[in-house]
Amino acid sequence: MKQATALPLQQRLQRQQALAQRLRLPVALAAGLGCGFLIMCAVSSEPLRAFLTLLTGALPRLHWGAGEGWQLTRLVRFGAVIEDAITLTLLGLAVAIPFRARQFSLGADGQLFLGALAATVVSLYLPGPWFVVLSLSMLAACASGFLWGALPGLLKTRFQANEIVTTLMLNIVAVQAYRWLVSGWLRDPAGGFIVTPFLPASLQLPVLLVHTNVTVMLLALPLLVWTSWLLLMRTTLGYEIRVVGQSAAFALQAGLPVQRTVWLSMGAGGVLAALAGMHISHGLLKRLPVDLPAGLGYEGLLVALLARCEPRAVPWAALMYAYLRTGALAMERSTDVSREVVLVIQALVILFLVAERMQPALAGGWLRWRARRVAGGRHDA
Amino acid sequence: MSTPAMPQAGTALLELRQVSKLYPNGTLANDDVSLSIRAGEIHAIVGENGAGKSTVMKMLYGLEQPSCGSLWLDGQARVLADPAQAIAAGIGLVPQHLHLLPSFTVTDNIVLGAEPRRGWRIDRKTALRRVQSLVQQFGLEVEPLARVRDLPVGVQQRVGILKALYRGARVLLLDEPTAVLSVQEAESLFRVLRSMVAQGLTVVLISHKLKEIRDVADRFTVLRKGRVSGSGRVSDFSEAELGSMIVSKAPPPIPARTRQRATQPLVEIRDLQAHHADGRLAMQSLSLDIAAGEILGIAGVEGNGQDVLARVLLGLQPASGGQGRLQGRRFTGLSVREVRACGVGYIPEDRMRDGVAAEMSIADNLIAVSYHQAPLARRGWLDSAAIGRTAATLMQHCGVAAPSSATLMGALSGGNMQKLVLGREVAAGPRLLIASQPTRGVDIGAARALHGQLLALCEGGAAILLISADLDELLVLSDRVAVMAEGALVAHFDAAGLSADVLGPYLTGAQRQQNATALLDNAVTFSGVPA
Repeated sequence: MKQATALPLQQRLQRQQALAQRLRLPVALAAGLGCGFLIMCAVSSEPLRAFLTLLTGALPRLHWGAGEGWQLTRLVRFGAVIEDAITLTLLGLAVAIPFRARQFSLGADGQLFLGALAATVVSLYLPGPWFVVLSLSMLAACASGFLWGALPGLLKTRFQANEIVTTLMLNIVAVQAYRWLVSGWLRDPAGGFIVTPFLPASLQLPVLLVHTNVTVMLLALPLLVWTSWLLLMRTTLGYEIRVVGQSAAFALQAGLPVQRTVWLSMGAGGVLAALAGMHISHGLLKRLPVDLPAGLGYEGLLVALLARCEPRAVPWAALMYAYLRTGALAMERSTDVSREVVLVIQALVILFLVAERMQPALAGGWLRWRARRVAGGRHDA
Repeated sequence: MSTPAMPQAGTALLELRQVSKLYPNGTLANDDVSLSIRAGEIHAIVGENGAGKSTVMKMLYGLEQPSCGSLWLDGQARVLADPAQAIAAGIGLVPQHLHLLPSFTVTDNIVLGAEPRRGWRIDRKTALRRVQSLVQQFGLEVEPLARVRDLPVGVQQRVGILKALYRGARVLLLDEPTAVLSVQEAESLFRVLRSMVAQGLTVVLISHKLKEIRDVADRFTVLRKGRVSGSGRVSDFSEAELGSMIVSKAPPPIPARTRQRATQPLVEIRDLQAHHADGRLAMQSLSLDIAAGEILGIAGVEGNGQDVLARVLLGLQPASGGQGRLQGRRFTGLSVREVRACGVGYIPEDRMRDGVAAEMSIADNLIAVSYHQAPLARRGWLDSAAIGRTAATLMQHCGVAAPSSATLMGALSGGNMQKLVLGREVAAGPRLLIASQPTRGVDIGAARALHGQLLALCEGGAAILLISADLDELLVLSDRVAVMAEGALVAHFDAAGLSADVLGPYLTGAQRQQNATALLDNAVTFSGVPA
């Protein structure tokens, strides 16, 4: 008898929670952009134009030219969005997987540097047919990423070394090793500045979109996202990662190999970060400069947070992030608003997103409004 | 302050109509609750801890919203979105913990948040005058300029009541007001409440003390497990009748045991001991046997080493000496997974921490001990279809109703969760089940189902180590009972005819049997003679 009312109520609760989950990103995005617009109103003389530039600046433009017919312009800019989104997707996945096991691995930066380095070394110095060398380059990147990711995991399970500290320290080691090798052994004497020689053309990833560096990596991306999702949801290791992340005490008493799960999850993340490194070396730059953009790993962290560590949501979060960033560059160039405003907007979106209580509050407000209407209707009748 | 309008006595002032409250964590605190509070009465809401009284109070005060059903005030459906709306509607709450500022005066505390102003300054004279007039009107003896920290709790409570009255309350909700009061203070509180009702106010009183209700309340509503189990005029019912509405009926006894216990031990544990990480002895050298089809109960006040015994046996904590054998095979000193592979099952004491992952689905919880084996997984790949089938079968077998096996575990009641925990362990086909506090915090119906599951497992030839703080449970289920105190086994009895009185002195450590071990043949019968 008790279950008669409990069951429908539980079902309703489940539906509500699912709805709130789906609404999370759109609501946070809208709220963040709304606040951003208010800030622009305060700092700009033409806030509306700046805001529209931010929203549409990254898009290619359909252009009618006499004699040429319809033409797409600004493809380079749109290419930059995609290039960026690929890097961020890989890094987002790299952070999301250890996060699902509740391992706060901040080592994506170091893994990315080492991955790029390993792939470049193999590509530059290993002779052989291109498909063999390219496969081996990728393998080298994955292996170095896995090792550099699993190492702090092993340090944690073996010696209780906090993974936040060890990954940050290992980042420094990796970055400095990278700089040392690029400025010494790998340096191209004819380069003019400190940089490695160009990769052989056959080893550069094939370009899909003219005038851009959008390569076949774009095609591999859905596969990698899907693989990550499969890993988490359909394999025993993924199950272990999820259980350890949800409740380590429960995992222990059920007999799950908790320690192995910890370092494997961090190693798996390392593989994806290293692939991001290879995307940068073999897709975007075709050679390695002594300094790669620093802090990419932290952007991966933000993307993972935006996607709430759900692999299938990571590419969309990355795309949004990259889109806003490119739009911000356009806005800075053509209006009086600086791109720092976008950093504020991105931060606000993340704040709105991680504010756990906000969504239930919104849902609650809606429910109250509905309840009032129902009660009012009843009263009238 | 507005003077409370004199309402017509006897009409329903504040009502809940078919209200249910499901918290987001899945707890169904109120289920189809209807109650009606009449103007000018003292209405008691009665029930045991966890019966849903506080939730009712929170909904009346706008702190929580009903999941379904409606709230009616003065014959109109109302939504009280927050306490501010409740206060505006004339409902005041005197919480159990008063939230007063100790260094402020009584007057300052009372007007806090609704101060009379003169310009941008607080008008202290008006505040004092209003408080004094309230004090006189209701006979609440309080010195308006005393500091709250100098006042006894009973007087502080009057400050809380004055605070609600100052805001214009005509319905006063009091949450367990006598919990912190002495008998004299309680009597004086009741006098105050009577005088307030005489002046046209309405009082709602939460309590679980029968005597109080008979002393002061006009009418009552009894809650039991979130449902209304009775209501009416207090004078129409005897204390015994009220009592039977509050407490659920005692469960019928468990049917007599029919199982056969083997004469050879299935589980042999010899000289097992364990130390804490800091080197202190956690469990003294301990030996026990359990035969197939037998339940060995471990009694003891919590924290006397029972949890250590369970954790060491499962491999969660290393033993520092001794060993355990199951069917002649050593199972101590292995990893948890290896121990489980030997045929050991475990129901952890702390269900929410160790027994389930509340934020994961029921299916994910049910496969936790067998997900790595066929048929649930092959070569590292999970078989979703097999998992779904297994989960559905287990849910049906355990009699647990939920929307689907994808429902979050945390949405189930404690009893249903525990049924699934036990079901998961039983499904793994254990030869030894270590059940730690298996029915803690579950309702009586679920406890009976759990006992049935345990007995069925036992009749199937498994050995059960039942660790429980509930002596009735131990005495009903066990074949033999061992007592642990201060990390050592101090007594061992045959359960036939054993009573809680006999166990008492051993539980407290006042008495112990010399060199007690719990071997199959050395149980002391209740009369004190070895069998």
